Amino acid sequence: MAVAATRPRTRGRWGIPVGRILLLGFFLVFVLIPLYWMLNTSIKPSDDYLAVPPVWFPSEPTLIHYEAALFTYRGLDGLINSLIISLSATVLSALLGTLMAYSLARYNTGGQHLSFWVLSQRFLPPIAIVLPVFLIYRNIGIYDTHIGLILAYVVFTLPVSVWMMFAYFRQMPKSMEEAALVDGWTRWQAFWRVAVPLAAPGIVAAAVFAFIACWTEFFFALLLTSRDAFTLPTVFRAFIGFQGAQYGEAAALAIVSLGPSILLGVLAQRHLVRGLTLGAVRG
Amino acid sequence: MSEAVETTMRMESAGAPPRLSSLARWSDRNFKWLLVAPAVLLILALSIYPLLFSLVVSFINYDFQVPGHAFVGFKNFERVIFDPVARWSLVLTAFLSGASVAIEFVLGLAVALAMVRNFRGRGLVMSILIVPLFISPVIVGQAWTLLLQRPFGPTNYVLSQILGTEVTISWLTESPWLYISLIVADVWQWTPFMFVILLAGLTAIPPNLYEAAELDGVNAWQVFWAITVPHLAPMMLLALTFRLLDAIRMFDTIFIMTGGGPGTSTYTASFYLYTIGFTQFHLSQATAGSWLFLIFTAAVVFLLVRRLLRAEVT
Amino acid sequence: MNDREKRDFQAGLAEEVDAFLRGEKTRRDFITRFGQMTGMLAVSGPLLASMSDWALAQQAAELADPGTPLGQAQAAALAASTEGPADGSAFRAVEAAKQFSGVTLNMTSEAGLQALDPRNFSGPMWQQLTGIGSNVVELSNPDQYSKAVAEHIAGSGAFDVLDISPAWTPSLADGGVIAPLDDYIAKYMNMADLDDYHPLYKALPTYKGKIWGFFDDGDMFALYYRKDIFEDPKMQEAYQAKFGAALGPPKSWEEYTQVAQFITDQMAPEVYGAGHFRKAGSPGNQFDFLQQFRANGGQLFDTDMKAQLASPAGVRTLENMKAANAASIPGNNELDAVSLWAAFLTGKVAMIYSWPPTGRMAANYSQSATAINFIPQSQIAGKVGYAVVPGNPEHATGFNKALSADSPNPEAAYLFMQWVTSPPVSLARVMLPYALRDPYRLSHFKSDLYGALFPGARDYLINLNNSANVGLLDPIMPGAQDYFLSIDRMCTSVWAGTDPQQALETAAAEWNDTTDRLGVDSQRAFYEEFLKLPGSTADNTVEKLGMAVKLD
Repeated sequence: MAVAATRPRTRGRWGIPVGRILLLGFFLVFVLIPLYWMLNTSIKPSDDYLAVPPVWFPSEPTLIHYEAALFTYRGLDGLINSLIISLSATVLSALLGTLMAYSLARYNTGGQHLSFWVLSQRFLPPIAIVLPVFLIYRNIGIYDTHIGLILAYVVFTLPVSVWMMFAYFRQMPKSMEEAALVDGWTRWQAFWRVAVPLAAPGIVAAAVFAFIACWTEFFFALLLTSRDAFTLPTVFRAFIGFQGAQYGEAAALAIVSLGPSILLGVLAQRHLVRGLTLGAVRG
Repeated sequence: MSEAVETTMRMESAGAPPRLSSLARWSDRNFKWLLVAPAVLLILALSIYPLLFSLVVSFINYDFQVPGHAFVGFKNFERVIFDPVARWSLVLTAFLSGASVAIEFVLGLAVALAMVRNFRGRGLVMSILIVPLFISPVIVGQAWTLLLQRPFGPTNYVLSQILGTEVTISWLTESPWLYISLIVADVWQWTPFMFVILLAGLTAIPPNLYEAAELDGVNAWQVFWAITVPHLAPMMLLALTFRLLDAIRMFDTIFIMTGGGPGTSTYTASFYLYTIGFTQFHLSQATAGSWLFLIFTAAVVFLLVRRLLRAEVT
Repeated sequence: MNDREKRDFQAGLAEEVDAFLRGEKTRRDFITRFGQMTGMLAVSGPLLASMSDWALAQQAAELADPGTPLGQAQAAALAASTEGPADGSAFRAVEAAKQFSGVTLNMTSEAGLQALDPRNFSGPMWQQLTGIGSNVVELSNPDQYSKAVAEHIAGSGAFDVLDISPAWTPSLADGGVIAPLDDYIAKYMNMADLDDYHPLYKALPTYKGKIWGFFDDGDMFALYYRKDIFEDPKMQEAYQAKFGAALGPPKSWEEYTQVAQFITDQMAPEVYGAGHFRKAGSPGNQFDFLQQFRANGGQLFDTDMKAQLASPAGVRTLENMKAANAASIPGNNELDAVSLWAAFLTGKVAMIYSWPPTGRMAANYSQSATAINFIPQSQIAGKVGYAVVPGNPEHATGFNKALSADSPNPEAAYLFMQWVTSPPVSLARVMLPYALRDPYRLSHFKSDLYGALFPGARDYLINLNNSANVGLLDPIMPGAQDYFLSIDRMCTSVWAGTDPQQALETAAAEWNDTTDRLGVDSQRAFYEEFLKLPGSTADNTVEKLGMAVKLD
């Protein structure tokens, strides 16, 4: 805590860090306002939409927007598709990412070029590959299928999985695996039975990341799915354009999709934080 | 690979290293390549092959409204290069991503500095602050639209009450406010990203450095520049690189909040290419444009990521 | 890993970060918990899926109380399908379709309200009559085009019946996405039913001498105004004093702006003179511009197919639209169609022109359906007058039912299209309170049942018919999407402050670019084809051609 003891700070008369409280308070409000208004809109009867002053607490909250969003606009189907696709892609991405990262970290496979090449995939603009992917998918018949979007998402999340696990393995001492090899274990055994269990927190962190990326992804889903495998974010297309402002439905759908996100946020918060810092913290 | 798994199983029961079959020996020799193979193959199939494919498409006619797939040379590229909307979209992309990332960086750093000390309720505050990271940008765009869109959104009313004078800003259709709206939405979503990375970096700075500085009687500002900034630099580079390379692909919030309008004033590069490719179906022109955009991006990637990796590997 | 190594390893991670990891148990626990979570979700997935299937499962057609006009129209539709007359299109379609019992038709529909009719009414009724199921695929309007194209490129045969804008017909027909209907029509249709279309709509699905769909939605813009405000003696007096003319529904676009400004000056902020849907991507811009531009004498193309937007008519149109915006409700430029309705229904706006559901919503008829919950209850019921839009109203989009060329069951799909658009069935559909389908057949306009639907319904129908007599069609030619996109960009950039002349020139350049890309000669041929349709220009309306339908 000595770290913070010398932080620049402004204290009020009673030793309260005014500046800090103001800053955090402001930022908290900034974060919460859109969430609150969305929740408010989702339970507000449409008669209140244009009221002046705005209705901050609907006196007669209603769930009709949820019903419409989930069933009329097929939000529930989107939610289920999103879960299936995101979870499958997450598992695959974490698995393949761990395999590759281990090889890169322990055997320096392909040198710096291979690792650079993989990471650079992360920064490929999706627009550059989505059209050919679309054409290829239609040729092999996986356009608008779960498997099609899952594969796209694995490729889309792999660079980060590899990058995070790469950093994790590099921080991990080699001694246990070396001992295992000396004992006559195969490399695979040393990897699977020694390194992987040790790296479990890193794997979970990488998985959390992959899941968030898939869960929030819009662009690929917009272009690679249609009536069957569409994901939750793409349902929002119905709320722009012709019929436009179906505020309550849009808000209700947004709130529904926040559920899993926030659940994950609470459960996996520390993995998220650890994940974000992987590859940057060196021992 | 499955052979290896079986081997492992057998080993477990035997409790000692077993004899290896020739296949297992082969796989043990080529172990490092077997591990990278699945990922590399998948990336080759769904990323590199499509890229090469798109290179071909960008030199032929591939347009829903114009039949045939004749070779057209650089015509597709010309259409993009001579399209004023394309050039504008590139400028806008640079501006929006630059401005967003800069604000996120400053704000994220400030919040990280404020959060570095422990205090009551810090865990709760932390939980709330990172919520935006879990939300799809589409929904972020929708949430801000609900707040800002006239006459439904309450923003103008609230501002009028606070300022005591009537505020009639069209947040989504009036320059410069619409750029501000887009940046605010981006800042809302991504400041937590900066904040978390920078916070981790801050807490990794050895405390004794600060203690020494305190003994020397150096003031806080000097401590910040002499100790915090240099030690935080690698984290700053990491955070900025990742954010910037994401920000230049900005699409989702535009799609929901402004639809590119008014006119073409909020066409980012991605939105421009999407419009050409998937609302107008000039597929080959969009592909050529993607290649041009890719080249711009690659320049940035080489500069930033090479540096990042070098720092990592050495 | 010994303790020391472990410590070193841990030390590599920041202390603060480890605070988050403090709750951490053993690593195996993590994997277990993660596995459990995954398992739970995997199990709940199918469970949820079956739930939603159940919720979406088509039940019997939702029928209205047989005592109501709607109930009577529905009973008549059912009778016409089962009892005949035997030469009616509905009856013949049902009889022929029975051989395809067990098939399921995939049909696209605009997401949300538009989908309720095929889901709750016509789809289930068709299944009950023929045993042919239907699966409604909901898409946003632009996606109804782009997804149809994408699925065709994908060759997936995913769709059987497509709901398309008439303007897309040439692109989709030439692209091989949709199939012509002529052979089926000759085989199955009662030709008298083709003549039952209003003349403006009858020719719409025709392209290159073939019929590419059935017109199915009379999207005629009309003017809806507050009689209580327009007829208020004080307002009349003030208007007379100021302009030396009577206050009434405007006859020209300049008068429209003048009336809007007058009401705003008198009544704001309680009521504003007008409102429009001008948001980017919301199609109000393209429709408004096209109707005013052509009413002002503007030509879209000259004989060399050079865009004629940058003309005095164009400047006049944009300037007047700008003035109308300024006279409108605050936030006018950010409204879309639904929020404009909300503003009108809550009494904030005295006059709007929009699609026909406006009249049904204003009478509070639509709101009797729970699905219309996103529209506020009408506070202006009984106070609304109907008039023709100044000059010429736009027939804003409409829908054709078109047959997907990739359909695995083309004949069954065709028969559904014939049945669902047949006079008795389509009447029952356009009368649904939640319908966004609007009257288009002469038998709709003349229907006593529809006329009894809400107070003023008869005047409403007459006004829609009269609007169609002088109505203008959206340009129907390849590249229509591109041309419309340019107009939308042009208008919204002008609202944001671009000089109209400059914006018109930019749009004209984009139009020329589009024309060049598609081939000047072929585009000219299409344009000439379009000009033959009644309603293609202000000089070529149904009325000017002497085909006007008189109802009163």
